[in-house]
Amino acid sequence: MKVFLNGLKVIKGEVFIMKDRCKGCGFCVTCCPMDVLEVSKKFNVNGYHFPVVKNPDDCINCGLCEILCPDFAIWSVLKEERQVVEV
Amino acid sequence: MKKIGVFICHCGSNIAGTVDIDKVNEEINKYPGVVYAEDYVYMCSDPGQKLVENTIREKKLDSVVVACCSPTLHEVTFRTTCELAGLNPYQCEIANIREQCSWVHEDKKKASEKAIKIIKTIIEKVNQNESLKPISIPITRRALVIGGGIAGIQVSLDIANAGYEVLLVEKNPSIGGHMIQLSETYPTLDCSQCILTPKMVEVSRHSKIRLLTYSEVQEVTGYVGNFNVKVLKKPRYVIEDKCTLCNKCVDVCPIATASEYDRNLAARKAIYLPFPQAIPATYTIDAEKCPGFLPIACGKCAEVCEPKAIDFDMQPEIIEEKVGAIVVATGYDLYSVKNLPEYGGGKLEDVMDGLQFERLLSATGPTGGEIRRLSDNKVPKRVIFVSCVGSRDTEKHLPYCSKICCMYVAKHAMLYKHKVPDGEAIIFYIDVRAGGKGYEEFVTRAQKEDEVIYIRGKVSKIFRDNGKIVVMGADTLIGKQIEVECDMVVLSTAMVPNKDIKDLLSKLKIAADEYGFLSEAHPKLRPVESISAGFFVAGAAQAPKDIPEAVAQASGAASKVTDLFSSTELKHEPVVACVNEDICSGCGICIPLCPYGARELEIVDERRIAKVNDVLCEGCGCCIAACPTGATGQFNFMDRQVYNMINAALTVREDERTNGKIK
Repeated sequence: MKVFLNGLKVIKGEVFIMKDRCKGCGFCVTCCPMDVLEVSKKFNVNGYHFPVVKNPDDCINCGLCEILCPDFAIWSVLKEERQVVEV
Repeated sequence: MKKIGVFICHCGSNIAGTVDIDKVNEEINKYPGVVYAEDYVYMCSDPGQKLVENTIREKKLDSVVVACCSPTLHEVTFRTTCELAGLNPYQCEIANIREQCSWVHEDKKKASEKAIKIIKTIIEKVNQNESLKPISIPITRRALVIGGGIAGIQVSLDIANAGYEVLLVEKNPSIGGHMIQLSETYPTLDCSQCILTPKMVEVSRHSKIRLLTYSEVQEVTGYVGNFNVKVLKKPRYVIEDKCTLCNKCVDVCPIATASEYDRNLAARKAIYLPFPQAIPATYTIDAEKCPGFLPIACGKCAEVCEPKAIDFDMQPEIIEEKVGAIVVATGYDLYSVKNLPEYGGGKLEDVMDGLQFERLLSATGPTGGEIRRLSDNKVPKRVIFVSCVGSRDTEKHLPYCSKICCMYVAKHAMLYKHKVPDGEAIIFYIDVRAGGKGYEEFVTRAQKEDEVIYIRGKVSKIFRDNGKIVVMGADTLIGKQIEVECDMVVLSTAMVPNKDIKDLLSKLKIAADEYGFLSEAHPKLRPVESISAGFFVAGAAQAPKDIPEAVAQASGAASKVTDLFSSTELKHEPVVACVNEDICSGCGICIPLCPYGARELEIVDERRIAKVNDVLCEGCGCCIAACPTGATGQFNFMDRQVYNMINAALTVREDERTNGKIK
C-alpha cells in the first residue's frame, strides 16, 4: 500500500549466503522474523538444501540468522536507510 | 373480599372510540368486590389522578384497578397516586384496555365485552395482592465509561466533576476517538484538535478519573448499582511513567506499517505514538508487527532507550472493579469502501473516504495540510465529493441517513477551495439536509462564497480512464446522464456502529437495533438510557450524530448517572419469586434455568432448599413454571390469583349462553 512520505525511514539489510557451508538445518529459515528466507530446491556440494532469499526487501538486518547459523554460512549487512513509501 | 375501586379511562377517543365505556362501567359496578367504579376522559391528567386519590380516601378502598393504557406507560403514575392517598402502591393494578383491546379491535360490542373481561381478571388479581415493600439495594457510586471519544470524554468529565469516580476504558492506545482525526469542524470551522486536546488533558489529570487505555471490557456481571467488571489491559510494552518521549526508539525501529490515525495514508513504526498529542503520552509496541518478541531477533528500541522504559516481558493485566452504572460510548466506524465495487471498492487510487480527506486537510496530517494526490503527489484541480455513499440505499446498502455527511461534504469542499483557490469542487447530492443551528447558512456560504458546485443526482459508477477519474451519474435537475472527469474523489461513506460492538453487546447483554446501533429505552422520552437498568448510551454508538449532538447526549447520560448515584440505595421491584420452604424438594431444577443467577441451594435443617436472592430476581417467572412441586411462586402472581384470573376471563354470561352463542 502506497503512503505519503512523512520522513519516516527504515533500515534495510542484505543477506549473504555461502551455500556450500550449509548443512541444511533450516534454523535461519524458521527463525527469520520477517520471513525473508526459504529452503532451496537445489542441493549444495554436500547434498543439502541450502537457504535462498525469497523477499530481499523485507530484511531488516536484525542478524538473527547470523547468530543462529551453526556453520557461519549466512550473515546480513546494512544495505541502506530508506524512506518509507509503501507499507 | 376487599373493597376495590375501578377507574376507567376514555383516553380521549383512543379507548372510548371502540369501547362502550358506559356499558363497561355498569358491568364492572355489579362485579363482586367492586365498591366504586368511575370513568373519566383522561385518568392520567391531574383531575383524573385527584379523582383516584380522593376516592381511595373517601371510600376507604383496599385496592385499585385502573383500566387504561399499557402498564409500561402509567403503572408508576397510578401507583404513586395510590401511595399519596395512603394505599400500598402494590394494591394498584393496571387493566390494559387500550393496546390490548381498543387499538386492536373495530367491533365496538366485542371490544366492550373484552374490556370487561380484562378488567374482571385484574379485579381478581388485585383482590389477593399483598402489600409489598420495595427491596433496598446498596449502590456503588462509581461509573464505567466504555469508549474514549468525544462522547466518552464528556461523560467522564461530567460525572467526575459531579464528584463521583469514573473508570474510562478505551480500546486504542490513546483517547480522542474519531474527533481527533478531524481537521476543522462545521459550522464554525474551528480546529478539532484545538477544542478536543484540552478535554483529553483534563481527563488524564482529573483525580476522579481512572483512565485505562489499550484496554477492553472483558466481562460484566451483576446488576444496576452493583456491576462487577473485568477489564483486560493489553500490554503496551512501554512503561508509561519512565518514557520521556525522546523518539529514539521510533528512529531505530526497522518495521513500518500503515498508520491507523492517518487512515493508511501515512506510515508509522511498530513502536509508535498514535499522534503527537496522544493521551497517555507514551509509545506503544504493536505486538503483531514487532519482531522483538522472538528472542534476540530485534531489540533495537530497548537498546537505545535511555530511561529503560521498554519491557518486552510485560503481561496482559486483568483489572476487576465494582461500578454502579455503565455508559456505552463506543462510537462509529465508516462503512467500508470495499463494499462498494461500483465506486472502485477501495482499489481505485485517489478515491478516498471522508476521514481520509480529513487527514489530508489536517495540519497534522501526512501532507501537513496540503491537498495532494497519493498517486503522483500533485495538487488535484478538480475534486468530486459524493454524498450518501452507502446511506439511504434501500436496495444494496444501508437504508438510514448518516446525518452528518451533508454538512461535512460542504465543509470539505469549502476547505479544499480555501487551500486550492483555483480548484473546482463538485458535490453530488440527493438532498441537502442541513438541519441545525447555523447549518443551512454554512451550506449557503459554501455555495455562494466558495463557489462549490452542487449537482443533484446519484453517482452510478466511478472508474479510471487515461489517468483521470471519471464519475458517472445523473443530474436530475436537467434530467440527463453525465460523466465528469476529475483528479480526486471523496466518498462520504455511511456511518456504521463500531466494528467491535457485537462482541461488546454479548458481554453487556444490552439491546441494539438491526444495524448494531444501541437501542435507547424510549426514542423520545428516554434517549440516553438503555432498556437494561444501569446502562446508558452516548454518542454515535446510538445513532449517527455529529459532535454537538454527541456532546449533548453525553452530558445527558452523565446527568442520568449522577441522578442514579444521588441516592444511597436503589429500590428493586418486590414482585419477585418466593419459595414455600415446606414443599421445596431441593431438586435444584430452577438453578440452571434462572437467567439472572438468583436461585441457589442452601442447607436448612439438613434439608436442601432452593432459595431466591431477591436483589437479583427480576420476576421473569422461569423458575416458577419449572418447579415440579409447586413450591415456587411469585408475589402478587400466586397460583390462586392466576387461577381466579383465568376463571374470570372464561366465565360466560348467562344471556350469552341462552342465546346459543357458546355451548
